[in-house]
Amino acid sequence: MAGQRSFARKLMFNAFAWTIVLVIVFPLIWMILTSLKPQSELFMIPPGFFPEQVTFEHYWRLLTETPFLTYLRNSTVLATATTLIVIIIATLGAHSLTRFAYPGREFLARAVLFTYLLPSVVLILPLYFLMINVGLGNTLASLVIAYTTFALPYALWLLRSFMAGIPDDLEAAAMVDGASRMRAFVDVILPQALPGIISTALFTAILAWNEYLYALVLVNSDDVRPLTTGVMSMLVTSFNIEWSLLMAASVMMSVPLIFVFVFLQRYLTRGFGAGAVKG
Amino acid sequence: MESSTRPAPKDTGLSPGTRSSMLGLMLIAPTVLVFCAVIVYPLISAIYLSLFSIYTPTMEGDWAGLSNYKVLIQSGEFWRSFGNNLVWTVGTLTLQIVFGILVALVLHQNLWFRSLARSLVLFPYFLSTVVAVLVWRWLFNDLYGVLNHFLMWTRIIDMPIDWLGTMPNAMISMILVGAWKYFPFVVIAVLARLQTIPDELYEAATIDGAGPVARFRDITLPQLREVLVVIILLRTIWDFKEFDLIYLLTGGGPVISTQTLPLMVYKEAFALNQMGSASAVAVMMMLFMLVFMFFYLRKAED
Repeated sequence: MAGQRSFARKLMFNAFAWTIVLVIVFPLIWMILTSLKPQSELFMIPPGFFPEQVTFEHYWRLLTETPFLTYLRNSTVLATATTLIVIIIATLGAHSLTRFAYPGREFLARAVLFTYLLPSVVLILPLYFLMINVGLGNTLASLVIAYTTFALPYALWLLRSFMAGIPDDLEAAAMVDGASRMRAFVDVILPQALPGIISTALFTAILAWNEYLYALVLVNSDDVRPLTTGVMSMLVTSFNIEWSLLMAASVMMSVPLIFVFVFLQRYLTRGFGAGAVKG
Repeated sequence: MESSTRPAPKDTGLSPGTRSSMLGLMLIAPTVLVFCAVIVYPLISAIYLSLFSIYTPTMEGDWAGLSNYKVLIQSGEFWRSFGNNLVWTVGTLTLQIVFGILVALVLHQNLWFRSLARSLVLFPYFLSTVVAVLVWRWLFNDLYGVLNHFLMWTRIIDMPIDWLGTMPNAMISMILVGAWKYFPFVVIAVLARLQTIPDELYEAATIDGAGPVARFRDITLPQLREVLVVIILLRTIWDFKEFDLIYLLTGGGPVISTQTLPLMVYKEAFALNQMGSASAVAVMMMLFMLVFMFFYLRKAED
């Protein structure tokens, strides 16, 4: 029967496709399962797949016995501050690059793209000196400043392609009605650009949340460390590596990301379309 | 563009066009200022630093001219790191592209719970590198890692493998983890392009008797060409300058077998305290990258 044959083919294809998907996410499933196992179960040979006994002790220890909450606070402050500053500057800048004519505009646009590709490792050495010389060594502020080096070109580039997609007539119509250019920007362009601004803000926040190299070089004490270097220092300082504790930390670090994926995913895909594919 | 009902501009004697471009300049001014302070100045400064011999902790040093570069070009470690950088970039990029196209083709089909499958596949890309590396180091653990247990259980190997401590295993592991982390970028870009290929092309080919392989070769691949060029350029640049993943996974070891140029910059600057020669490595690395950046900029112009 043709119907049965095509159903069998569909079933086979789905089994094949979902096997691939599960292999890809297996490391993440394993991370969650490990974080829920008592320490003793980690060293079973062969390892069991599901925990025999589900425990939340690692999460509890993470919150009470390690500086995890301090790292979490620092990462939150960093991601928020970087995103706010970068979005404000980049929105104005992208508006200027897409709606105004002045000499040097094309050069600036090209410079933005160039800096977007620049390796952090080149900028980090002078920035390290600069931060120490201006007295910002080992502070969260130094990290916010350093994060703008990659976040601003990135945000500008994304926002520029979003805002280039807003039709010129809208702004012109608003100005015929007597609004000034800045009013037209606030009343017409900004609401139109809002989905793009949200996408860009999400990407910027994720970049700042995940950043490692600047945090490694510019800060070196627990009270200013963000999660990335903080959690790694837990790995380095412990005498024997407590994998279930580290997996619990990894899960906790990924919670904001899971939130974004569940509730705000359309903004992520939109950002990808603008920034990466159209290039 | 200015409307006549607006209160007349204060008599500046400037034409509306000039006033408009002045507003444009004012809006871009914060960007330009920040760019100069945190990007242009450090960039020039990095080149300048590379001409000195500087001791990192005291930040003091002497003029060295081009001697940092001369030492580098004659040093085996520099070329070894450059070679490692090429192996890593080519290896991980190839896997990302092949696997990315394959998964994109699968996710383009009518799949049960397709949007869930897509979200799950994208996840590694947005994950912090620290998390990715921690998870993989646990999977790679030689005694209790699930990877060795699985391979021994299926009789593929009969002794546990040291994934990160020996060569060529360390390089292979690194390339695999890099591919896992970054292939979703290829998936997203290719998927977006696949959705714009007109169905008629496939229908016509099917009528002409073309099988799935022929359709992929004669329709899909040529249609993907443009986007693949952009993806390859971007990912070459990003993979070439990768620091976090390599530093955290192998630290460049064993010894310097997986050390790439970004890791060498970090080591020179903060482990060996040679800020000057670290800058020289960074500048050299940027020169290599400029080739790809130039091509990408040209592509982006179109």
